[in-house]
Amino acid sequence: MDVLFVQALINGLLLGGVYAAYSAGFSLIFGVMGVLNLAHGELVMLGAFIAYGLFELVHLDPYLSIPIAAVSLFLGGYAIQKFIINRVIEQPHLMSYILTFGLHLILANTAVKLWTHDFRTITTSYSGMNAAFWGLNIPYARLITFFLAVAVVIFLWLFLNRSETGRAIRATAQDKYAARLMGVNVREIYALTFGLGAAVTGMAGASLSPFTIIFPEMGLGYTVTAFCVVVLGGMGYMQGALYGGFALGVVQSLAAAYLSAGISVAVTFLLLFIMLVLRPTGLSGKGIAG
Amino acid sequence: MMVNRRTVLIVLVVFSLLAATASWSAAAEPFRVGVAVSLTGAFGKEGTMVQDAYILWMETVNARGGINGHPVELTFYDDKSDPATSAKLIDRLVIGDKVDLLLGGFGSSLVFAASAAAERHGYPLISGAASSNRLFERGFKYYFSTLGKATEEVRGCVEMFTAVTPKPKTAAIIGADILFTSLACEGYREYAGRHGIEVIHYELFPMAFQEYNSLLHKVKGKDPDLLLVGSHLLVAMRVMKALKEIDYSPKAVAFSYGPTVPRFAEELKGDAEFVIAASEWAPNLPFEGAVFGSAADFNRTFSDRFQRRPDFVEAAAVGGALAQQLAIERLGLKPPLSGADRAAIRDKLVSDTFPTFYGVIDFAPDGANVAQPPVAVQIQDGALKTVYPLEYAESEIRYPFQAWKQR
Amino acid sequence: MKAQTARKRLLIWGVLTLLLCLFPAFVSSQYLLRIAALMVFWIGMAGSWNLMSGYTGYVDFGPVAYFGIGSYAAALVMTEGGGSFFLALPAAGCTAALVALLIGMPTLRLKGAYFAIATFAFAETMKQVTLEFDRTFGIFFFQGSHGITLPIAPYGNAFFLYCSLAVASLVLLAHHWIENSRFGYALKAVHEAEDTAELSGVNTFGVKLTAYAMSAFFLGVFGGIEAYWITYITPADVFSVHKTVQMVIMTLLGGMGTFLGPIVGAVFLTGVSEILGLTFVEYYLILVGMIIVGVILLLPRGIVGTWKERKRLRSL
Repeated sequence: MDVLFVQALINGLLLGGVYAAYSAGFSLIFGVMGVLNLAHGELVMLGAFIAYGLFELVHLDPYLSIPIAAVSLFLGGYAIQKFIINRVIEQPHLMSYILTFGLHLILANTAVKLWTHDFRTITTSYSGMNAAFWGLNIPYARLITFFLAVAVVIFLWLFLNRSETGRAIRATAQDKYAARLMGVNVREIYALTFGLGAAVTGMAGASLSPFTIIFPEMGLGYTVTAFCVVVLGGMGYMQGALYGGFALGVVQSLAAAYLSAGISVAVTFLLLFIMLVLRPTGLSGKGIAG
Repeated sequence: MMVNRRTVLIVLVVFSLLAATASWSAAAEPFRVGVAVSLTGAFGKEGTMVQDAYILWMETVNARGGINGHPVELTFYDDKSDPATSAKLIDRLVIGDKVDLLLGGFGSSLVFAASAAAERHGYPLISGAASSNRLFERGFKYYFSTLGKATEEVRGCVEMFTAVTPKPKTAAIIGADILFTSLACEGYREYAGRHGIEVIHYELFPMAFQEYNSLLHKVKGKDPDLLLVGSHLLVAMRVMKALKEIDYSPKAVAFSYGPTVPRFAEELKGDAEFVIAASEWAPNLPFEGAVFGSAADFNRTFSDRFQRRPDFVEAAAVGGALAQQLAIERLGLKPPLSGADRAAIRDKLVSDTFPTFYGVIDFAPDGANVAQPPVAVQIQDGALKTVYPLEYAESEIRYPFQAWKQR
Repeated sequence: MKAQTARKRLLIWGVLTLLLCLFPAFVSSQYLLRIAALMVFWIGMAGSWNLMSGYTGYVDFGPVAYFGIGSYAAALVMTEGGGSFFLALPAAGCTAALVALLIGMPTLRLKGAYFAIATFAFAETMKQVTLEFDRTFGIFFFQGSHGITLPIAPYGNAFFLYCSLAVASLVLLAHHWIENSRFGYALKAVHEAEDTAELSGVNTFGVKLTAYAMSAFFLGVFGGIEAYWITYITPADVFSVHKTVQMVIMTLLGGMGTFLGPIVGAVFLTGVSEILGLTFVEYYLILVGMIIVGVILLLPRGIVGTWKERKRLRSL
């Protein structure tokens, strides 16, 4: 087997890990509340900026910022859902999509005002370090994000299935009226869910900061990729974020390595379209149907 | 009638308003210059750089008494990186705000739309930040650019390799698939061909393509001596991060745009060493002219004002504004300007040459600035050093690119 | 009562159209004419989106796909085909409608967020296809990122005002037809209770597909108008998601699924864009975001929708 093929495969899996890390939160929010969070990418952006800011100000290693990003975004996400999105939760879902889009505009452009359009990145003494063997190459930073993604999915699965709050969340997702009758405070659950989704996304953003270029308008690209990942994996299905991420990452990497970069991008959207039309429940078949 | 406090107040207000109006109309009428530029959107960063450049020009000119004794006033509108908006804003500036003059924004596709509107109104539009060849091929009389054509800009980056030993034999060319960067890639290919460097890989990628590792692994596998990239700042930074991650050290890496912006070296730190970039101006070039003095003087003035050194695009923007200013000074014009005045300015821009800190600006009838030498710079010890053409070089080319694992 | 309101609406639009036709006779400023033309253009665009998404409730996030297809069709007819603008426009509309029929068939089986994402994915795919097509097949056709340059129109903005007015009028006529026909009832049935409608014998699929293709036709024609107006098109510009955003926000602000909604929304947002966009250059997008959030939280039925609701409640 030629080296490029194996390398592209490795790149794809690592990329998939990155994708899964920041898409799991999106899937959770949609799965539980039916909210297509069009401001999702801004959560990644904020996580990355928190890491960058702390790095610049107090030379905090970006990986140590991960918990800080998690807590900050949990609080922010909880507040957004509780005070803003919850107001339209009884209305047709379109309202929440447009609302989150408005939030996207506000967050991204306020960030531009505060931090300017400059492109930033974190360069540490260990930036770009990679393991090289057999003609292959594995960047450590991406490997760390890969493990983070797996950890997040495992954590979410355990939380949703083994904890009291998690069960309440699942109950609400299945049937909010029944849950309400059972004594679940649906609005509170929604706020917690959004907070949780935002927290894991923020963590992903912080973990990306060493190897990605950070700028206030970076969000939209991440939102679009998150769409693709969760549709491929299955909306609302946590493990689906991993499957979808890997599938997308591998397809993109192989296309870039053997065909062309342009085809790699075209294929991404084509794949998204085909999946929706043929199998909206995702590759796993466990996603929420249309 | 009792003179109460309210009456006194009213009289005072009216009096001060009259006094203000009187003094205002007695002051010199300004030259009103309009600019439609991307302050938000995909080119928000680069657009704000151009805005800063024009602000510096205005402040410097006004501190020296203005143009022919009249101050300059700038009006900026945000085209949001959208060509349709750019054209609409030109209409607004010309008809709504009745500006005397225009200055160009950033980016070929935006300037393309704006220049069509400017041409219709008979307003010269000088841009220092757009270089697509198409801009010069429409037979417009009012479009000028201080930047050379995109395919020419990268000439220095390729020619410089004829001076190194061992001479590189192969090159890979990659770039973003938008107007300027794709033309830069065509330029690379043209000049590589002329100098006997074989192009073993040529690939353009859409802006939506963001993960370069697999693409660069493919290039690494072909092992070209040179990696030539058609880029703006974002693409350039992404390429560098990826090169280090995949441990790929070609013998040289060159970018059509990006490394000359201070942020590049600031953010990448040591990883930016050895990077080569195309340029059209550097502070060490032996140019001199009115208002700003020498290239080094301009560099200092800009750095003091904005706490960062100027990128060559910012220098080109100021250069363009300066050329228009000199044309007006030579014609002795005063505001408000008429259509005939602007036609005269246009003719002057074509007929004359303008020695400035940016070089001797000489516009051909198609609007291109023909006198600029294509320069190549290299990041050495965190600073940009001119390395080509050899007669202007301030430092020797460091070749080859030091491998990542050895740094 | 319904017929009365319908006649009143047509009268209002008729008067407005007359005024707009006379506008260039009194106003010679190219700038003001461009603003007027832009407002009418966006009334038509928002209206085209409303025809599909407003009435059926199937929120389309990829209308710009048909706009772009129309732009390219018109550009190619005028450059490669040597056709006139008046040939290019119907060609643009028909091409877009044909593609809509093809794409609509698999896509209209999806609902809600899935339909939205699928239509968005289609629009992005179209953008990438026009970018990559020439290079992949080694031919000269779309010209990728270099874009297509159209012949320069020998007309000023008044011409484009008239073009936009003509097409926007057709769009509003379509609205009128929907509001006063069985087809319209079928669409409302799809919106409110699709499964029941299907069971009652309504051909919900056919009805949705018709609305989708009709919307696409008009979007394609507007794409052709824009191509000739701007004289230069690239994939990034004509398939830009920003155009979708504009259409959605305008219709939402005005009131989805209403006749006057797109008109109110388009005029309001274009006006706001002019004033805010220029005075608050750097805060413009933040302001738009706040307006959107404000409208969703406070006026979820849009300006027209809320007004109609209040009127209805008052008459109870």
